[in-house]
Amino acid sequence: MIENIASATLPLVMLLVSLVILSSKKPLFDSFLSGAGEGAVTAAKLLPALCALIVSVQMLFASGIADAVAELLSGFTEKIGIPSEILPLLLTRPVSGSASSATFSELLSVYGADSFAAAVASVIMGSSDTMIYIMSVYFSSVGIKKTRHALPAAFLVMIFCILFSSYICRLWFT
Amino acid sequence: MIGKCFAVFCAVSVVFSICTGNLSSLSDAILDGAARSVELSLSLLGIMCLWGGVMSLLRSAGAIEKLSWLLRPVLKLAFPDAFGSGIGAEEITANVSANLFGIGNAATPLAISAMKKMQQSNPTPDVASDDMITLAVLNSSSLDLFPVTLIALRRAAGAADPYSVIVPIWITSALSSIIAVVICRLFAALTKRKKRSVA
Repeated sequence: MIENIASATLPLVMLLVSLVILSSKKPLFDSFLSGAGEGAVTAAKLLPALCALIVSVQMLFASGIADAVAELLSGFTEKIGIPSEILPLLLTRPVSGSASSATFSELLSVYGADSFAAAVASVIMGSSDTMIYIMSVYFSSVGIKKTRHALPAAFLVMIFCILFSSYICRLWFT
Repeated sequence: MIGKCFAVFCAVSVVFSICTGNLSSLSDAILDGAARSVELSLSLLGIMCLWGGVMSLLRSAGAIEKLSWLLRPVLKLAFPDAFGSGIGAEEITANVSANLFGIGNAATPLAISAMKKMQQSNPTPDVASDDMITLAVLNSSSLDLFPVTLIALRRAAGAADPYSVIVPIWITSALSSIIAVVICRLFAALTKRKKRSVA
């Protein structure tokens, strides 16, 4: 039942879209086309950053240091219940969207897209955002210097997200 | 920031490879990585094109306004000052709706205009107000209902069931967002009390 909901979301969105087009008198397909064009441009603009970051992340894995650090910290991460393989993602996720996408797809190809680490990484990717980037853009846009409890609060939420992702994946996939 | 990530990753990997003596696998990885980035952006190109279109269509059909209307009563609890005075309330609802639909491109400018509105009624312009902080922290935890880029990346990596993570993501996102608001309200209440006892 729950699996059906998950795989039904995209078809349902497409159904909603077609119903909206059929029931409206506005030229909605034109706005579909302009939005699709913007999406394509965004994806194409992603390539330069993605290229640099995937190269660097792939170097990180090929040099063996990612594994070495993961092994070094595995005793600690096991105690708090998170797979040590996802550590590189924890470093890049708060900083940048393209860096974390690069790390995420590299994690999937190194440890397997159906591994437990990949599941945890997916949930973290899907339920957290680029915290440090957002903080700096939002507050600097209005010239705020004292952010009070913003960073500690965001940090606590991030820690909850990481711990809970591992917990829910253990319940869900095993 | 991205530049620093890139530089640190490269430097650390090269130094580590020299120490362990596997520089040849490192040069393979460099060429591989460059090729893979093209594969990856090609596999993202189609889905981002489609989704950009779907979202802009729903936006011009008024779906975001409808969602905003549904969200208002919930957001009133999270942003008592903005909704009490009405300043910035509209931008906040639009930002949260855009996040739910996964339109990050639209969400950031909306959040910034919400910040600007709230700044106008901020008595201390270099110190963040309670609601500004709540907005920033809420945006730091994702609210995306349809994580299509993530699904596309999972498919590209050959996952047996790319969609299997959607429900755990919904649960984790919902809980993170609730906790974000609760923590921000708690901090706000605590600092208010402190101010009062000093006065």
